[in-house]
Amino acid sequence: MIESILLWLLAVLMAPFFSGAILKVKAFFGGRKGPPLLINYYTLIKLFKKGSVYSTSTTLVFRLGPIISLASAATVLMFLPIAGHQPIFSFNGDIIFILYIMGIGRFFTIAAAMDTASPFEGMGAAREAYFPIICEATTFMILIFFYRLTGDLQLSAYFTGDNTIGLWNLAGAPLLFVVISFFIVLLTENSRVPVDDPATHLELTMIHEVMVLDHSGPDFGLIELGSFCKLFFYSTIVSRLILPFDLGFFWLNFGLYIAGLVIVYVAVGVTESVIARYRMDKVPQFVLTSFALAFFATIITLEFIK
Amino acid sequence: MSQFFVSLLLILLGGLCSLFLVKQAKFARTTTVFLLSAGCFLGLIDAVTKLVQSGTAATSFKYLNVFSLTFQIDGLSAFFLVAIFAVSLLSAIYSFHYMDNSENGMKTAVNYFFFSILIASMALVVTAANMITFMLSWEIMSLSSFFLVIYKHNSSESRRAGYLYFIFSHVGAMFIFAAFGIVYGYTGSFGFGGMDSLPETAKILVFIFTFIGFCTKTGVFPFHVAETASIPVAPCHVSAVMSGVMIKTGIYGIIKIYVLLDFPTPLFGNIVLVTGVVSGILGIVYALGQQDLKRLLAYSSVENIGIILIGLGIGMIGVSSQNPLMAVLGFTGGFLHILNHSIFKTLLFMGAGMVLHKTGTRSIDALGGLLKNMKITGTAVIIGSLAICGLPPFNGFVGEFFIYIAGFKGVSLDKSAFIMSIIGIVSLALIGGLALACFTKVIGIAFLGEPRTKAAVNVDEKGPSMLLSMSILACACVLIGIFPKLILWMPVKAVSALGLGIGRVPPEPFGQMAGNITFAAVVFLVVVILVIAIRWFFYRNKIIGSAGTWGCGFSQPTVKMQYTGSSYASFILDFFRPAAPLSEDHPKITGRFPLKTYYKSHVNDIAELHMNRVIVNPVLFLFDKLRWIQHGDIHLYIGYILLAIILLLFFI
Repeated sequence: MIESILLWLLAVLMAPFFSGAILKVKAFFGGRKGPPLLINYYTLIKLFKKGSVYSTSTTLVFRLGPIISLASAATVLMFLPIAGHQPIFSFNGDIIFILYIMGIGRFFTIAAAMDTASPFEGMGAAREAYFPIICEATTFMILIFFYRLTGDLQLSAYFTGDNTIGLWNLAGAPLLFVVISFFIVLLTENSRVPVDDPATHLELTMIHEVMVLDHSGPDFGLIELGSFCKLFFYSTIVSRLILPFDLGFFWLNFGLYIAGLVIVYVAVGVTESVIARYRMDKVPQFVLTSFALAFFATIITLEFIK
Repeated sequence: MSQFFVSLLLILLGGLCSLFLVKQAKFARTTTVFLLSAGCFLGLIDAVTKLVQSGTAATSFKYLNVFSLTFQIDGLSAFFLVAIFAVSLLSAIYSFHYMDNSENGMKTAVNYFFFSILIASMALVVTAANMITFMLSWEIMSLSSFFLVIYKHNSSESRRAGYLYFIFSHVGAMFIFAAFGIVYGYTGSFGFGGMDSLPETAKILVFIFTFIGFCTKTGVFPFHVAETASIPVAPCHVSAVMSGVMIKTGIYGIIKIYVLLDFPTPLFGNIVLVTGVVSGILGIVYALGQQDLKRLLAYSSVENIGIILIGLGIGMIGVSSQNPLMAVLGFTGGFLHILNHSIFKTLLFMGAGMVLHKTGTRSIDALGGLLKNMKITGTAVIIGSLAICGLPPFNGFVGEFFIYIAGFKGVSLDKSAFIMSIIGIVSLALIGGLALACFTKVIGIAFLGEPRTKAAVNVDEKGPSMLLSMSILACACVLIGIFPKLILWMPVKAVSALGLGIGRVPPEPFGQMAGNITFAAVVFLVVVILVIAIRWFFYRNKIIGSAGTWGCGFSQPTVKMQYTGSSYASFILDFFRPAAPLSEDHPKITGRFPLKTYYKSHVNDIAELHMNRVIVNPVLFLFDKLRWIQHGDIHLYIGYILLAIILLLFFI
């Protein structure tokens, strides 16, 4: 239990570091030196030191936005097995709760954006409301796949100990589809290229960044931390899926887990460096690909796994 | 049973009072609301005790010495009675201030009269124990709600809606009559018993006919046209009762017939599930496309009925594939959602009523920034929206959670049940996402931001009785969301009273699941409090400024530049274009100095579009050809009647 709590704390603390690593990878591809690896910590500290300016249009909902979005991301991490270790909390059906808790985070991010009466933020909010709908369908398809394999409905049944390697032994080929599909969900849910470009400078083309234009100071810090945690959640799952081995010793597993994380974040960075973002109306097709992959994987299990 | 009838008498007395005391408007309203509330309260207590004791009570009256009117309260009826009386109680209280500045005393009085009849007839529908009693109550319910719908009879929109509603109700009732006719043909009695002895094809026919009949009342796609037209034009406390509980009498009918037929074929489950999926997804898509707040809520009822049907369908599939846990979880999830939906939908309609009352408009795109001056209403509507999106820790999540778990139980079954479960789960996920988009639109456009028109500027919220009922419902949403155990026993009792042939309902998994939800909700709330503490810590002694919204460098923003509801929804509606075609109307902009222009858009409902083409026009064509029968000569009409009777005598 203590270890799980420590791992959770470590996860919240490590999340900004890995997001910084993406910038380094992108800089490498651009032939630049890039910001320091700890850039996100410096930004957070700077933000937390500042005061805030609130728009006169806003209400309490605007202030609730950052709080709920960080709280939902942090809660979700509590149910996540980190490095194959038992999570702090776990119960049958926890994954459904997690997905819906993320939903409440999204609800308040959108509501906070609409609260500013800004045309740009409304546009971002409309997109933020749209793409995750397909992602949710994909995620549930993947869940059906996992349930078909394990008969369980909790994250710890898929990602702790040697459970993950068990999944690979049971259905290796369809699981490959699932990994790719989940990576697409990761890119979409966390507003990365090719769905959204976090580094763009034009408000019209943003999704997530434009929704938080009016937040400043510690509030903005909370939002940033929340989005780091969210990316960390998805990356942890992919990391566990691509390096599913259970080496018996905690520190070996932990090392393996970090290696997996590095692979995932580098992959995100490479994706961002080598492809351009899609036109807005192409994005749904990209996201639907993930659904199709997960669906095929599940249908295959129908024939091969009895 | 006597307490039940006393409560109905009180309710009807209330309705009569408003008619007799029409001259003293204020006094009449006070007495009526008091009597209605007292009746509903008594009935509520009676229903809850009946549900706790899980016994059955029955009474019978002879009517015209031919038909016996039989009433019976069992677990299922008691469950629905709880919802009916609770929602009616709060709506009656709400109406006290809502009907305050009604210009015409007589209209108010008539409204209350039919309102009381509607409440009583709903209670009779769910307690009716034979076909005659059932149809009698069903017709009274349809007619009384028809009179409530045409409350604003001088507006053509209301009249059209009322007309549609009238036709749909009666076509639906015709299907139910047909089904009951089949049953009578086999059993020779008007009693509900003996339906299980029907041959299989007759059972299927009876189920399909009653299903169609009940669906017209429930407002399932594609039969929702009348509901989504009529609910918005009724006064808001009536909309709340109609959308919150009246449409669920249809669900009651479906369950009742399913149980009576006692025929575990996968067909029934599949029909119910697929209908639920279609109506769930399309309902919320159309809701998203609405600009009228009350119409949006009515469409969202179509969606929620879809969710309930998905739950029931999964339960039925569980019964047919001999999986007791899946069956019980599915039914319980559906029943939970019935209760929860009646709570948050009533709340949302009351919120819409307050908005309509104070701003005089139902158009979302004309509102904005209401939360600033409508603190209680705004907060209540936000809570209701969170609940209707099925987000934890609010009550909407609880029912959906049970339905998900039931659906996942079906994933490990064989082919057809497996596919059906997948469809159910994925569409629930889709519906969840779409509902979030739809209700962030309601909140974001109507309650947040800046007022878009004069109607929304400086509105207040007054009317203690309205605020009271909304607050009670909002608290219920949160409380049930955190402690589902508070109401979980009701669906569990109701489901065990169904006697699905799966033995005793094991209470253990429910207690555990409810405990898990409570636990997880508390974890989330603790984290929220922690984050609030962190935020407070970082904001100590800081300078908090305020300025205009950042317009990306533009310094002269106007409220017209805000995102509208239509553009917010357009991305998603684009995706559903084949099912929700958009019609636009705007003149082409020409010249260097274009003149003032306009843009109109409307999201079409394909059921409405095709209803005209496929049904209305052929029917009109046919009846046009038969017009010569209708010549106005009374002698010949009497001749028709005689002829008809003689012909019938030959056949029977």
